[in-house]
Amino acid sequence: MSDTIACISTPLGRGAISIIRMSGAESLKIAEQVFSSNKLNYKNIIPNFLYLGNFKIKEMNERCFMVHFRAPYSYTGEDMVEFQVHGGTLLTQKILETLISCGARLAEHGEFSRRAFENGKLSLDEAEAIIGEINAESEGELAASLSVAGGQLKTAVEVLQGQLTECLAQIEAVLDYPEEDFEEETKDSVFFTLQEIESKIKGLVKNSESLKYINNGINIAIVGAPNVGKSSLLNALLGRERAIVTDIEGTTRDTISDSISYNGIKLNLVDTAGLRETSDIVEQIGVEKSKATIEHADIVLFILDGSRAMTQEEEDILKELKNKNHLVIVNKSDKERVLNRQEGEIEISALKGKNIEKLKDEIFKKVIKDEIDFNKIAVANERQLSALKQSANIIESITNDTSMDIIAMQIKLLWQTLGKITGMTENEEIIDLIFEKFCLGK
Amino acid sequence: MENFDAIVIGAGHAGCEAALALARTGNRTLLLTLSLDAVAFLACNPSIGGTAKGQLVAEVDALGGEMGVNIDKTCLQIRMLNRGKGPAVQSLRAQADKIEYHNEMKHTLENTPDLFLRQGEAVDIQECGEVKIVKTAVGEEYQARALVFATGVYLQSRIIIGDYTKDVGPNGFSSAKLLSFSLERLGIKLLRFKTGTPARVNSRSIDFSKLEVQYGEENIQNFSFMTKGKPQNKAVCHLTYTSPKTHEIIKANLDKAPVFSGLIKGVGPRYCPSIETKIVRFADKERHQLFLEPEAMSTNEVYIQGFSTSMPASVQREMIHSVPGLENAEIMRDSYAIEYDCIEPRQLMPTLQLKGHEGLFFAGQINGTSGYEEAAAQGIIAGINASLFLQNKPQLVLSRSDGYIGVLIDDIVTKGTNEPYRMMTSRAEYRLWLRQDNADLRLTEIGRRVGLVSDARYAMFNDKCQKLERCQNLLQTKVVISELHQLFIENDESIPKENMTIKDMLKRSRLDIFKINDKLHIFDEFDYEILNEVNIIAKYEGYLKQQDEEIAKFKKFESTLIPEDFDYLKYHGLRIEAAEKLQEIKPLSLGQASRVSGVSPADIAVLSVLIKKFNEEKRD
Repeated sequence: MSDTIACISTPLGRGAISIIRMSGAESLKIAEQVFSSNKLNYKNIIPNFLYLGNFKIKEMNERCFMVHFRAPYSYTGEDMVEFQVHGGTLLTQKILETLISCGARLAEHGEFSRRAFENGKLSLDEAEAIIGEINAESEGELAASLSVAGGQLKTAVEVLQGQLTECLAQIEAVLDYPEEDFEEETKDSVFFTLQEIESKIKGLVKNSESLKYINNGINIAIVGAPNVGKSSLLNALLGRERAIVTDIEGTTRDTISDSISYNGIKLNLVDTAGLRETSDIVEQIGVEKSKATIEHADIVLFILDGSRAMTQEEEDILKELKNKNHLVIVNKSDKERVLNRQEGEIEISALKGKNIEKLKDEIFKKVIKDEIDFNKIAVANERQLSALKQSANIIESITNDTSMDIIAMQIKLLWQTLGKITGMTENEEIIDLIFEKFCLGK
Repeated sequence: MENFDAIVIGAGHAGCEAALALARTGNRTLLLTLSLDAVAFLACNPSIGGTAKGQLVAEVDALGGEMGVNIDKTCLQIRMLNRGKGPAVQSLRAQADKIEYHNEMKHTLENTPDLFLRQGEAVDIQECGEVKIVKTAVGEEYQARALVFATGVYLQSRIIIGDYTKDVGPNGFSSAKLLSFSLERLGIKLLRFKTGTPARVNSRSIDFSKLEVQYGEENIQNFSFMTKGKPQNKAVCHLTYTSPKTHEIIKANLDKAPVFSGLIKGVGPRYCPSIETKIVRFADKERHQLFLEPEAMSTNEVYIQGFSTSMPASVQREMIHSVPGLENAEIMRDSYAIEYDCIEPRQLMPTLQLKGHEGLFFAGQINGTSGYEEAAAQGIIAGINASLFLQNKPQLVLSRSDGYIGVLIDDIVTKGTNEPYRMMTSRAEYRLWLRQDNADLRLTEIGRRVGLVSDARYAMFNDKCQKLERCQNLLQTKVVISELHQLFIENDESIPKENMTIKDMLKRSRLDIFKINDKLHIFDEFDYEILNEVNIIAKYEGYLKQQDEEIAKFKKFESTLIPEDFDYLKYHGLRIEAAEKLQEIKPLSLGQASRVSGVSPADIAVLSVLIKKFNEEKRD
């Protein structure tokens, strides 16, 4: 039986809606841990029915839709669950991470299609297409590994794999040649190497997380009281109409997101609903979402209306933003200035497009700063990052009480997990190494 | 011409198991051997078992084989290797009385119904449709529908001592000089391998006072599930080391060593190097361990483990006399290297049948392996499959997750080998599952299905399974912690706050079922084997589960069979290199295909689609 896989099946960073799907026998069990709805009883769940409910991400609830497809009547032919959520890179990622922490595994490229094929859900013609895809994919991976960043990472991880292979050869020599009596020294040297590898992996993870902007872009939340011009700013930054702009408060009920590229970095803009208490339920959802968006943003653009004084509510928000990377933007510079000067403010006119380029530059500087060294090695995608994190966990699971046979087993697993990054998943060297390194035998 | 159902050529460890498996499943079987004095002969060290090999013996036993029974009858000393390094790698190793080992096995063969043990040299093989004819050197002809080749190291073998060579087999037994040609006529590709064995000395000339004694273990289990009582230790081994002088002598005489002079052309095993190879390759190692092992109770001969060499006899003598304790040793047999023909094993299917030749099976060192246990493991499979073939039943293939036997055969038929292949635990992916202690649980049902597991053994096995279940149920018993404080304290474990089940107690790394039972006595009705099994399963539950998941994934690929008439070269999508390799090996399953060298994961993904397509086209 196949394990349960999950992935985001809509393109990242685009669209108002994202779909995260799972396939495999455990799909429903995993969904049950995270998604609840008044109308939903998992025992008699209706397939193909769209349930509206709450997805629990840690202490936060995300309103979204869930639909279950029952095997074999699904795309893959297995039990499937799909979540349809508000768009946005971060939120979607969080949901995926939550599913993975509940037992799903991140799907490999094309794995859904492959399963569909294996379960007879695709025709022969489609099968031919999949062959092309598999070949293209391995070529694509090759191309990625040849790129500068990818190549560096690959080399770095290959070194770690090499060290692990040596560790393994040492342990295997001890296990296969018990007469030779070098157990203690081997254990010491293996533990030393493992610690070294662990710190290198953790370094890579840290590097990658600090450099995630390069790959995922900067997440920017546009925040402000109703009608200060958040949607106008979004449109100005995008250089086109994206949000509906009216004078009526609360026009933007949902968050709207889109991205632009600046200096080679993606700026992911999220326009939030006006931050205010509201009795309109749909809008209420939007407001709660805004708070979540702020929490997950790399930088918050707090917009004030230059033509009026700050309200109490706005001052409160400003206080709350103190510990958050943010920029104060004073809009409506085309109108008469009433508002006091704010520390570090940028005066713009969203309507007239004034100072918009300067704003982009400020955002870039404020997030990227000098701390990022573009030459540092980092991972290219979530799959690689998750392989690194898993690897660190495996090392942590090895303790002084772990017996040698299990240490060997876990090092092999570690080697294979790192192999997801380097593409080396078969280790045929170990036995050769044993004989090369050790004088053994009767 | 005498008619048999099956003929087994060679009565070494592979041939004996093959012949017994055939005869015990009701086939009239001829077991042909060059010398009746060489039946089940321990040509090299007088021991059975060891790491990974102990597992092989247990697996042969579980399938209904003889090796475990025979070593239990003839054991001189026994130990469990790797205690303290985890259950996956623990293996029994016994010193055997090599004379008794041979006698007991010969006796068993002689008294097995339908088995005909006969001395004679096979010189020619002919395939006449379904019937195979074996001609012997004295002009006899025998015919049968199934043949098992288990010729060991006797094909065109020659021994080498310094610059002396002689065309004989081990121990001066005659070699098989003609059969190789017959195999080549069948289209079989041959390889030439080399191995060796150290000198034997007279125990009365050894100064034991200078040596460390190695004792056997008491209260230890037997190899065979069927042997009753505990093994007895009747002899001891001794440990000594090479001296600086030994190294000097070897270095000064390297030009006389055939391995370096070029006289030996066969490929030798890396895991069993000659002492001169060790000293050249590991020049910085100051000394090497040597074990002195008794050969039998009825002889003074002592085997010097670790001292195999092909140096001239005079140099050998000097070398031996440079070792502490052996200063005055009387040499009884010289150490020699031996070269022999074997077949390139990739010509075989995982059933051990030669591809394209129904009814022809190969087992043991002729397949490029090394070791008695490896030979026996192949012997029993070749015997089982020859028997199944004669009965028109589907063949038996053990997978890499069924046992070391599966790993061994899959390795040699899929990847081949360029040195005598020795089993090692590191070759097995699932060794936490492939333990010696659960070999019976893994394989008895299979042995029963093929007809080798007797009613008596099967009844005992079922009884064990029931006990295991009962014992495991008892693990759910909740214990009162306040009564067990002492146990936790004694074992340096923190005292739990709440009462817990015994199963949870076993999760503590310093507690085990034996210690718990010493306090609680609720497992008194169970013997060591049951408790050990239950203890391992409980303590390693998480890791076993992890391994189960890997096995499940592995099995998915293994169970995708590739049709026999699938043409790899006909389809687009596969890389040419991969297609050619696969066409040559003709793997049985997608899993086996994935282990062919030069085949990438992308090739396997493509292949899986192509197979599906092939099958659907065929259906239409």
